[in-house]
Amino acid sequence: MRSPLATRRALFSRRGIIQGAAERLLAGTAVMLGAATLAFAALQLVPGDTVAVLLGPTTTASPEIRQQIRTEFGFDQPVPVRYARYVGNLLHGDLGSSYQLQQPVSKLINDQIWPTVQLTVAAVAVAVVIAVVSAVVTAGRRPALRATATAWELVALSTPPHWLGIMLLTVFSFQLRIFPVAGAQSLSSLVLPAVTLALSVAGVLGQVLREGLEAALEQPFVVTARSRGLSQSAVRLRHAFRHAATPLLTLAGWLTGTLLGGTVVIETVFSRPGIGSLTMQAVTSRDLPVVLGVVLLSAFAVVLIFTVVDLLHLVIDPRLRTTEAAL
Amino acid sequence: MRFTRPVHRSACLKSPLRLADRKPGRTHARIAGAAVTATLFLAACGSNAGSTATYADKPVPGGSLTYGIDTEPTCFDIHVSQQDITAAIQRNVFDSLVTEDDAGTFHPWLATSWDIAPDLTSFTFRLRQGVTFTDGTDFNADAVRINFDHIVAKTTKSQYAASLLGPYTGTDVIDPYTVKVNFSKPFAPFLQAASTAYLGFYSPKTLTANADKLCGGGPVAVGTGPFTFTSYTKGQRIVLTKNPAYAWAPATGKHTGPAYIDTLTIRILKENAARVGSLTSGQIDVISAVPPANVKAIQADQNLQVLRKDIAGAPYSLYLNTSLAPLNDERVRTAIQRGVNLDQDVSTVYFGQYKRAWSPISATTPSYDATLEKSWPYEPATSNQLLDQAGWTGRDAAGYRTRNGIRLTIEWPTVPAFVREQRDILGQAIQDDLKKIGVEITRPAVDIGTYVTKAYGGQFQVLDFSWGRFEPDVLRLFFNSGSTLATGGQNASLLSDPEVDNWTDTGAATLDQATRNDVYAKTQKAVINKAVVIPVYTSSSIIGAAGYVKGIAFDANSWPLFYDAWRNKK
Repeated sequence: MRSPLATRRALFSRRGIIQGAAERLLAGTAVMLGAATLAFAALQLVPGDTVAVLLGPTTTASPEIRQQIRTEFGFDQPVPVRYARYVGNLLHGDLGSSYQLQQPVSKLINDQIWPTVQLTVAAVAVAVVIAVVSAVVTAGRRPALRATATAWELVALSTPPHWLGIMLLTVFSFQLRIFPVAGAQSLSSLVLPAVTLALSVAGVLGQVLREGLEAALEQPFVVTARSRGLSQSAVRLRHAFRHAATPLLTLAGWLTGTLLGGTVVIETVFSRPGIGSLTMQAVTSRDLPVVLGVVLLSAFAVVLIFTVVDLLHLVIDPRLRTTEAAL
Repeated sequence: MRFTRPVHRSACLKSPLRLADRKPGRTHARIAGAAVTATLFLAACGSNAGSTATYADKPVPGGSLTYGIDTEPTCFDIHVSQQDITAAIQRNVFDSLVTEDDAGTFHPWLATSWDIAPDLTSFTFRLRQGVTFTDGTDFNADAVRINFDHIVAKTTKSQYAASLLGPYTGTDVIDPYTVKVNFSKPFAPFLQAASTAYLGFYSPKTLTANADKLCGGGPVAVGTGPFTFTSYTKGQRIVLTKNPAYAWAPATGKHTGPAYIDTLTIRILKENAARVGSLTSGQIDVISAVPPANVKAIQADQNLQVLRKDIAGAPYSLYLNTSLAPLNDERVRTAIQRGVNLDQDVSTVYFGQYKRAWSPISATTPSYDATLEKSWPYEPATSNQLLDQAGWTGRDAAGYRTRNGIRLTIEWPTVPAFVREQRDILGQAIQDDLKKIGVEITRPAVDIGTYVTKAYGGQFQVLDFSWGRFEPDVLRLFFNSGSTLATGGQNASLLSDPEVDNWTDTGAATLDQATRNDVYAKTQKAVINKAVVIPVYTSSSIIGAAGYVKGIAFDANSWPLFYDAWRNKK
């Protein structure tokens, strides 16, 4: 098996770019189809009559209406037929229509994705900034400073976002009235949700980055750099940070993937639209087309994020830019 | 009965219009009289009420209101959705044939008068002329026929409105402004059904062009109401705009002509703290579903007010499954009914804001039997006696009663996704009460699929529901043996009692008030005496509003109405 470094090298070598892109595309498609199939199968295994679940426990729908829903949505068809039909439609770019909301899934996702993307990108940006500042400033410094930073990171990553969100709202919206309480219409309404979501991520990233920095600072090249007369901060930023940033990047990419799906609490507290609430609603009412649509979207997002992360590695780590021939 | 109960500590902030609250049989002279009183009243203490607000003595048109709600509709189509919130929002956009006052009397709205066939199998309505939908279409007999036919059409997949039309067979257009609505059997609850927003009228044009888009709300939802549905942004807001041509207000409204406010923006604020905080910090004007814990603080704030009305229909109740041991033994059921300390539990969990219930229908519902109040108090001694008699005399190590070595255990499932109003905490209080008399209550958390399957199969011993509807016919829904869960009924007790069946069928087939009161009183007493139900608490529609918001009223179903609302602030 190739090491990750070797994999990346191969990916970005001149001949490897086309091959890598093709591999990526194939793998990405396989991931998405596999995810959709698994979700489809999982929802078939959940107990109970789908129509009854869709209608909920307090309904006055007559047996005739239930039968109509069953026929119209094809619940009376065997599972393999339904699966084949779903995949067939998918190949035509048709994600189907929500049972519950009676709107095309593609429209629902399109309407809800941008608030989620904005929130996720803003949160990751805030988290990375906080983590980098905290780690670069405190790595390998006096024990007291280091301990303080580690302690705040631990608190940040273990604070429940729900509670934190309400605290931030109470202080900055209800009392100081700096930010609006809710919505997604302006930039200022993005600040509190992004900070809430960012803090726990910043905690994790900060811890990882500090360890990476401290390990890097003990490497021989640091001594070499210092002996060339570079200042302590130049060493930290130009040399050690680059070294330590690789695992940070991988982790940040992975966390971004989880954030996309994990925004439901933030959406509820700050009354924002988004994919989280849509998914939650769809899963509870077993709205299969919406669940599958979101699963496909998430798979796509993860594939996309990891491709971007790999490209960023290339920027950060010069060793990857060498061609195979030069190795 | 008061329509709303202003509970503001400063009397001078009460709305003058709310002082003239709707009362059954009121006349215009009485409105005028009340308005004069209100004017004098305000003149007497006008200046105390805050420094910036300008207080007018009569409604001022103009301005806009922002209203924060706790639930987002999944479907806005009144003919499809079964959600209260859908009807509550769309009430502003859609009108009905008739309107019902708090005493249960029907008044003209889009129908100016009506005749009911003596056998209650047809209802003939003479329609108001000159009513237009906001797309310019005329409201007439054809529109009524097209709407009712659309509701019952299988392809509409109606989850609620179709059941409100019951044994509907069709609508005859007698002339352009007269319709005869026909049923296959006597159907007394029809007038009440016709007064709800679920049987409101879409423009026939939009039904033809947009039937499949109505769930999504927005401008396709064309009605005749005081507001038009301007836009909907999922997860965020619903914007309603005044219909300037509106001239057909219901007889229960406080004024005629267009609504006062220009725009009503409804914000979706699911998080309680965010909703309450938005109101208290002045970022929005009105909120729904004030949590009981926050009511006192809002009342104490002199810039805010609390409006409320108890919800009619079936209060939150526990239904005991009479077909499964050990609850098939009436002594065990009665022991449980008398062994829960509801006075204390309800007042503790809801900070004294919700009332404990005594009957399977709440006190604001027509035909409520007030004699049941205090008739089955907390009596753990009686419970212990009954359980002894039933043979549950042993005790195991955990202190629970046993019979032949088997513990007295009752299963009461919970679906975490559906828990609201802190019913999980209330459930713990009930568990604790019953532990004291040696009954173990288990509360397995189940997913909705399992829940529905087992509930339809009658496999749970206890189920809990509430059901808002201003109509005692809910007793048929809950206790008639033909009204099983699997067929759209709610008979979770699996009660099969010929007398109860007879009474509830009779009530559904007569409009004679004395007969209805009689059979519904008998039904309420019977199901309490047989201990098939434990009514727990009556929920309340609690609205928080800024002091300058005036004229919000509640309809018979306790939904806030914005037609008469106005803003007493420049």
